[in-house]
Order: sequence, then structure tokens, then C-alpha cells
Amino acid sequence: MSIIKTENLTHLYSQGTPFEVAAIRNVNLDIAEGELVAIIGHTGSGKSTLIQHFNGLLKPTEGKIFIDGKDIWQDKATLKETRFKVGLCFQYPEYQLFEETVYKDIAFGPKNMELSAEEIDKRVKKAAKFTGVTEEMLEKSPFDLSGGEKRRVAIAGVMAMEPKILVLDEPTSGLDPMGRDKILNLIKYYREQTGSTVIIVSHNMEDVASIATKILVMNEATFLSYGNVDDTYSAADELLSVGLDVPQMTKIFLELKKRGYPVRTNIYTVEQGVKEIQKLRASL
Amino acid sequence: MIRDITIGQFFPGNSIIHKMDPRMKLVLTFLYIVVIFMCKNFWSLGLMVASLIITVALSKISVKTILKSIKPIVILTVFTAIINIFYVNTGEVLVKWAFIKITTGGIFTAIFMVIRIVALVIASSLLTYTTSPTLITDAIERLLSPLKFMSNSVHTIAMMMTIALRFIPILIDEFEKITNAQKARGADLETGTLIERAKALIPIFIPLFITSFRRAYELAFAMECRCYHGGEGRTRMKQMKLEIRDVFCGLFIMLTTVGVVLLNINFTAVI
Ligand SMILES: Nc1ncnc2c1ncn2[C@@H]1O[C@H](COP(=O)(O)OP(=O)(O)OP(=O)(O)O)[C@@H](O)[C@H]1O
Ligand SMILES: [Mg+2]
Repeated sequence: MSIIKTENLTHLYSQGTPFEVAAIRNVNLDIAEGELVAIIGHTGSGKSTLIQHFNGLLKPTEGKIFIDGKDIWQDKATLKETRFKVGLCFQYPEYQLFEETVYKDIAFGPKNMELSAEEIDKRVKKAAKFTGVTEEMLEKSPFDLSGGEKRRVAIAGVMAMEPKILVLDEPTSGLDPMGRDKILNLIKYYREQTGSTVIIVSHNMEDVASIATKILVMNEATFLSYGNVDDTYSAADELLSVGLDVPQMTKIFLELKKRGYPVRTNIYTVEQGVKEIQKLRASL
Repeated sequence: MIRDITIGQFFPGNSIIHKMDPRMKLVLTFLYIVVIFMCKNFWSLGLMVASLIITVALSKISVKTILKSIKPIVILTVFTAIINIFYVNTGEVLVKWAFIKITTGGIFTAIFMVIRIVALVIASSLLTYTTSPTLITDAIERLLSPLKFMSNSVHTIAMMMTIALRFIPILIDEFEKITNAQKARGADLETGTLIERAKALIPIFIPLFITSFRRAYELAFAMECRCYHGGEGRTRMKQMKLEIRDVFCGLFIMLTTVGVVLLNINFTAVI
């Protein structure tokens, strides 16, 4: 069943002024429940604009958007409901922290949902566990944490609302490799545990390859392709031609193939690479 | 959206008005505003409007943009006109009904006021449309430089103004981002009582202040790293020089001023 669906969605910024730009143009998308979709694309290709439509922060200039089969703009009163159903975590979310303690900040979302005190407490603890926020951190001020810790607290704040769809805009930007892996693993773990649909925007092809089930490629306000990881990276030439990168591994195998070795090119993780090389050695 | 406000916005261009010395532009705009208050009849006012139209044409700013600058003052202007129509009782009586009395004098004054306000706003918007904020503050600093003998804070104040202007768009951006982030967490900013709404702003303003302080520190460090130590002994990369065109524009406004004075004397005053 499709959980997010768009119909001829178009968004213009500053409509009717000399500064008008089409950030997304006439796009159709159908995301099935339970997927982990990665959105990749150039700077300015419209990724952030697209995901802000999923929870009704931006209103389509034209076209429709359905969440769970319901047109979210049909009745404005249900917009808040949509916001709880679709948890959106922005780029650099650490700048949205404001409460005295980490605990209170994570509780901000659930509190807005008007849940009971016990329920809020349960959810905060659960989200903290998912994101690796320790008991003692919960009592600290969010401003005393490191960048990576802040990032995890901010993500916990969104997870605590237990959204059916979790959307994260560049959750790993500006983190070191260890912080990056931590965030990616917790996103993967969250999806496995809760069965939610997860959408992440990323610039990093390796990140995407390692966790996504589907990849949406955006280019200049439209979709270039939407499909599983294998198919997307087999069309590596197409990605490279619009100036997008492919994982290092894929590049190596593309080059090997070019030099006449009989290898597959839909390879994007180190493990797959090792296997393919071993196969190649055996056959030579 | 908040971004669409055009007052104080700069539209880069290449016209003679864009290239004019910003000091001259500032002084002439100021002079223009003073002279427009000296106008006593429609003849002198007409001359002022004509010179404004010439300036706008020279600046190559589109008429649409110019009209947009008037949009925010429409209500104020209409209000001024209505007050004048009802309160000025000179001249022939046109309509008399109960306590309402509309006279020719009232209508003339109303029209006069509207033209005056509109011309005033267009003239000052033209200054900001054609001059970048940095140049404006630079010009202010240089015009005030004679005061340096009294106090050495002229440079500091000008620098503060430049920085403040530079940061307005950044803060607006930041404000929008944080608002969206908190809305995504279910913050409700549109409904509720006044107190509830004021409270709803806390999750937005705290992060906004914190980022602003962080930015201020970073900027201060960056300035110090480049050996900034105030205005003393500081030289300029870009020198401002008066050119022929500046003299020409100055003469143009001077002539207009003389014209206004003559027309004021030769025709009877309506205001
Ligand atoms: N608030 C806004 N007002 C006007 N134009 C905007 C606004 N936000 C984005 N744009 C424009 O819309 C286009 C798409 O922007 P968007 O933020 O969706 O890109 P993105 O794919 O998320 O890029 P990035 O990878 O850099 O985050 C860009 O050309 C951008 O300049
Ligand atoms: Mg973005």
C-alpha cells in the first residue's frame, strides 16, 4: 500500500515576483509503506522543498499530496494530525533545541500531542534509548552537549512523537565518520524496530547505499529515477552525467569493466566488492 | 512571505543613478524631501513630481517595483486623504449634509497630501533600491566624518549599522527555519489566546538568540583575526570620488529647488 503519494506536485517560491523559482516541477511519486527511501540530488535540486510538502509545512502551488491515502490539504483542520504522523527532522536540527534539559526538549513534541504524563515519559525514555541518549544526559542542558550528541537529542525529539513516517534532511552532514555511522545505525534500527517508513535526504552515496531500500534521484526540480539500490547504481553513467557521484566501490568496478574484466557493476558496498573480486580471481 | 518586503531592498544595476556617489545621493534625497515640504501650490509640486519621474526613468527600475514600494503606505495615505477632506473647510462648499461639509479646499489639500506622501516614499525607496546597504552606511560615515573631532565613535556606529543591516536577511532566514522546525514538532503558533501565543514564541526565540550570539562571537573573532582595531588609521579599498555626473545631478536638483521657489512666489498658494 502506498503511504506517500504525490500527483503532479509543483512548488514555486516567490510566485509572481521577479525572483520566482520552480523548486519542484510536476512530480509524481508513490512510496510504499515500510520502505527506507534515500533522496539524493544536487544542491538546489529541490529535495528539502519536496520533503516539506510531506508534513504540510509547504503548500503545493499545484498538484496534490496524499499521506496514508488522504489528501492532506483537503481539510486544513487535520494538518496538525499530519504533522504528528510525519515526523520531519531538519538539516542541522541541533539549532532547534531550546529547553532547560534534554528530557524536556525531547518531550516537546509528545507534549504538543497532548498525551498523558506517563505516556510522554515512556516515549521520551524510549526515544532516548533508540538514539543512545544516556540517563545522565537527559538531565543536562542541551547546550552543554557536543555537536553529535545534540544531533541525536534533536532526532530523539522527533522520534518521540512516534511518527508513522520519519523524514530526515541530511542527518549526517557535518559529523565525523563515527558520528555518521552512529546516526545511520540508529535510523536503521529504528525502522527495524517500529516498522515505520523512513525517508532520508543525503549527499553521501556510501551512506545511502548501506541502508536504503529505495533511492529517489532528483535533478533540477524533477525526478530522474526512483527504484531499488541495485537498479539505481547500475545506471551509474546516468548519475555521473548529471554530476552526481556514485559510491567508491561502484567506481572501481565500472573502471574494471571498462578495462575488460568480466565483473558486475551493480556493486556499492565493500562486502559485495570483496565477494566479486574473489569470484574474479577464482575465474582467472 | 516576510521575504517579499521590498522596502530597504537593493536591486543591483548599471544606471547613472546606481553609479552616482552615494554621498551625493544621500544629500540630494534629503534635499528633495525638504523641498517637497516647501511646495505651496500644484505648479511647484508638479515640478517636483516631474523631476522624480525623470530620476526614476534614469534609474531603469521597473515601474512595477516602484509601485510595490507604495503598497505598504496605501492605508496611511487613504486615511490622510479622508481626514483632510473632512477637516479642511476653506474654499467653495460642494456638499453639505448634517455635520459633514466637503469643500474644494479640502479636496485640494487631500490630493496635495497624497501626492506629497507618495513622492516622498518613492524618493526614499529609490535611494535604497539603487544603493547597497554597505554603501549607504559608508556614505553616512563619511558625511559625519567632520564630527570625528568631537568623538571617535562615528566609525564604530557606522560599522554597527553595516553589520546590523547585513544580518537582517540572515536572521529572517534563521527565524523561518526554526519556526518550521518547531511547527514540525507540533508547535501551534496560530491559535490560542494572546498569552498562549506569546508563550508559543519561546521555542523560537531562544534558539534564535542563541544562534545570534554564536554568530556575533564568530564575527568578532573573524574581525580580530583580520586585525580589525576600530576606525583609527584605517584606509579604504574603495575611494569615493565626485564625478561629473554627480555635479550634474546636484545641479539638476538645485535647479528644481530654484524652480519650486519661483513657482511658489508666482502662483497663489493652495496650502
Ligand atoms: N524560502 C525560499 N525562498 C525562495 N527560494 C527558495 C527557498 N528555499 C529554496 N529556494 C530555492 O528553491 C530551490 C530548491 O531548494 P531546496 O532547498 O529544495 O534544495 P535542496 O535540494 O534541498 O538543496 P541542498 O542539497 O543544498 O539542501 C533552490 O533553487 C533554492 O534557491
Ligand atoms: Mg536541503
